[in-house]
Amino acid sequence: MRAAFIIAGKDLRQRIRDRSAIIMGIIAPFALAAIFSLLLPTSQSFHTEYGVVDLDRGPVSALLTSQVLPGVVEAGFADLTEIDDRASAAAMVEGGEMGAAFVIPEGFSDAIASGRDATLTIIGNVDAALATQIAEAIATGYAEEVNAVSLSVAAALGGFTTVQPGAIADLSSRAAVFEPSILVEEAEADSKQMSDKTFYSASMAIMFLFFTAQFGILSLLSERRQGTLPRLVAAPVGPWTIVIGKALAGFVLGAVAMTVLIVASTLLLGADWGNPLGVALLALGGVVSATGVSAMAATMAKTEEQASGWNAILAMSLAVLGGTFFSLDRAPEFVSSLSLITPHAWFLRGLDELGSASGTVADALPAVGVLLVIGAATGAVGLMRARRLVVGR
Amino acid sequence: MGGTTRVLDCRGLHKSYGDRKAVDGVGFHIDLGETYGLLGPNGAGKTTTISMVCGLLTRDAGEVTVIGEPIDVGQIHAKRWIGYVPQDLAIYPDLTAEENLAFFGRLYGLTGKKLKARTNAVLEVTGLADRRDDKTEEYSGGMKRRLNIGIGLLHEPRLLILDEPTVGVDPQSRNAILDSVEQLSGEGMAVLYTTHYMEEAERLCDRVGIIDQGQIKAEGTRRELVELVGQRDRVRVVAEGDVDAAAAAARLVDGVEEANRSDGGIDILTNDARVILPSLLRSIADAGASVKGVDVVEPDLEAVFLHLTGKALRD
Repeated sequence: MRAAFIIAGKDLRQRIRDRSAIIMGIIAPFALAAIFSLLLPTSQSFHTEYGVVDLDRGPVSALLTSQVLPGVVEAGFADLTEIDDRASAAAMVEGGEMGAAFVIPEGFSDAIASGRDATLTIIGNVDAALATQIAEAIATGYAEEVNAVSLSVAAALGGFTTVQPGAIADLSSRAAVFEPSILVEEAEADSKQMSDKTFYSASMAIMFLFFTAQFGILSLLSERRQGTLPRLVAAPVGPWTIVIGKALAGFVLGAVAMTVLIVASTLLLGADWGNPLGVALLALGGVVSATGVSAMAATMAKTEEQASGWNAILAMSLAVLGGTFFSLDRAPEFVSSLSLITPHAWFLRGLDELGSASGTVADALPAVGVLLVIGAATGAVGLMRARRLVVGR
Repeated sequence: MGGTTRVLDCRGLHKSYGDRKAVDGVGFHIDLGETYGLLGPNGAGKTTTISMVCGLLTRDAGEVTVIGEPIDVGQIHAKRWIGYVPQDLAIYPDLTAEENLAFFGRLYGLTGKKLKARTNAVLEVTGLADRRDDKTEEYSGGMKRRLNIGIGLLHEPRLLILDEPTVGVDPQSRNAILDSVEQLSGEGMAVLYTTHYMEEAERLCDRVGIIDQGQIKAEGTRRELVELVGQRDRVRVVAEGDVDAAAAAARLVDGVEEANRSDGGIDILTNDARVILPSLLRSIADAGASVKGVDVVEPDLEAVFLHLTGKALRD
C-alpha cells in the first residue's frame, strides 16, 4: 500500500503543478455556481404579481380573495393587487405588469348559492406561462372545493378553455374547511429546501467532480504515452498497486475539490448545504461514484484525448439528466425516473432530504448508499480494465 | 558456471499475438559481470523478450529467474534486482531530475539518507547535479538520456537491462552511454543489452545472442559465432621481393588455410589472424620477401547475421 501512496503522491504533485485540477475542480465550478445563482434563479425563488378583480364582493368570492390568495402571498412567491375592472386587469397582464389576474364576475356567489353554473376567469400572459399555470392551479383547487365553478382560463392574447364544474354542494360547510391547494403546499415545502446558491453550488460541484476525479485513471494513459508506464511496471510494484495509486489520486483530488467548494460556497456565496455530517457522507458518496464512473469511462479509451472526450460527454450527459442545470420537479415523470441512474440526481436528492425542515443525516443515507453502490459497480469495472492497461498482453 | 554467479536465467520463452509468434522458444543466461547482447533487426523480438524478462508482459510459456527468484507480472519480488532502461525516454517532464529519481527510488524501497545519497550519486554520475532542480522538459536530449539510464542504476541493481539505449542519440551521448555500460560491467554488474547496431554488440558484449523472427539463431562470443558459421579472417600482406616463395612459406605456417599470390602481395585465409600473425610475418621475411604492409579483415557479426538469416541487420 505504501507504493500506492507514493504513486498517488507523485500524481497529485503533477496535477497541482499543472493547475489543471485546481481549475477544473475548484475555480470553474465555483465561478459557474456564482454566475448561475445570480443569473438563473430556480423555481424555488419564483415570484410574480397577481391581480384580482372581485366584481362579486360576495361570500364565495371572499373565500378566494380572503383565504386562498393571501395564502399564496404568505408563501412568498406572489404579490396580490386588487383591480377594479376586467379591462384594466387584461391591460396590466398584457403589459407585463402582472403574471396573471383572477376575475370574479358579478353575481358569482348568488349563482353558486342558487345552484347555477358560475365562471371564474384567469387572464394570463403567454409570456408568463409559469405564473399563468400556477394561477390556473390555484383556481382549479378553489373550484374543486366550491364544486360549482366553471373555470375559464384566458390567455391575454388567446382564447378560453373551460373546466366543467360538478354538482353544487353545501358551500358554507366547504368554506369552513377550505385549505390551500396541494400545489401551493408543495411550493411552500420546496421553498424551504435548497436555495439558488446552494442548488447551483451543489450542482456545479457534483458536475465538475466528474472532471476532477478522471485525472486519476486518465494518468495511466499519460504514463503509457510518455513511456513511464513500463518503468512503473518494471519496479517491484504489483499491477493492482499501480491502479489503486492512480485511483487514489483521483479520489483525493475529488475529495479536496469538493471540500473546498463546500466551504467556499458557504463562506462566499452564502450556500446552506445542511448538516455537516450528512453533507460529508454525501460528498464521500459523490466522490466515490465520480471516481468509479470516470475510471470506467477512461479505460474504455485508447488515448488520453479519446478518454477526455468520452468522459466530458458522459459527465455532461449525466449532469443534464441528473438535474444539475435545472430542477427536475416539473420534468415529465419518465425523466425524473431516468435521472435516478445518475449520481448527480442522488447527490442532489440527498441534499434536498438533508435540507428539508425535518431532514436528518438518516434521511440522506439512502442517497449515500446508492452513490456508493454506483461507485463500487463502475469502479470495479474501471479498475479491472485499468489493470489490463498496466499489464501488457 | 556455478549457481552463485548466475544472475539471469530464462528458458523457453514464448509469446504469440494471434498467429504471429513474436518470441519462439528464446532462452539464455547471464552471469555476474557479464554483458550479454541481443542482436537483431527491428521486429526480431528483442523488446518482447526483454518485456517478459522484466515482468512487464505476460508470457505464453517459459521461465525467468533473477538471482534464483522467479519473475513474472505478478511475481514482483525479483524485480528489485533489475534496473530497467526502456528504449524510449521514461521520465516525467514536469518533474525535476531529483523528483524523478526520488519517485523511482521510493518505489524500489529507498528511503531517507540512503535515498538522498543514491540520488546525489546518480546526479553526479550523470552530470546533472547542477540541473537537479530543473524540470526535465527543459533538458537537452542527451541530458534526458543520461537521466533515463541513471534511474535504472539508482537502486544499484544486480542486472541492468538496456533496450536499445542509443537509438536516436547523438554520437557524443552514444559514446558516453557505451563507456558507462563498459564501466558498469567492469564493476561486476550483469548487463543485458539489446541493439541492432553490430558495432555496439561487438564492443560491449561478452556474449551475443543473434535473434531473428523471435528465435535465437546462434549464441556465443564473437569468435565462437564467427567460427560457428565458418567465417575466417582475411590477411593481406603487401610485399616485395620473392613473393612466390613467401606465399609458399606462408602456406606452411600453422593455422593458415590458404595463401595465394595476388597483385602486390599475398592473400591469406586463417581462423585467427591475431594468433598467427607473428609467425606468418617471420616466415614471409625468411622466404626473402620484404613486408610493406599488413591488412587484417576479421569477419564481423554483420557477416554472421547475414550468413544465419540471409539478410542484413538493417533490412
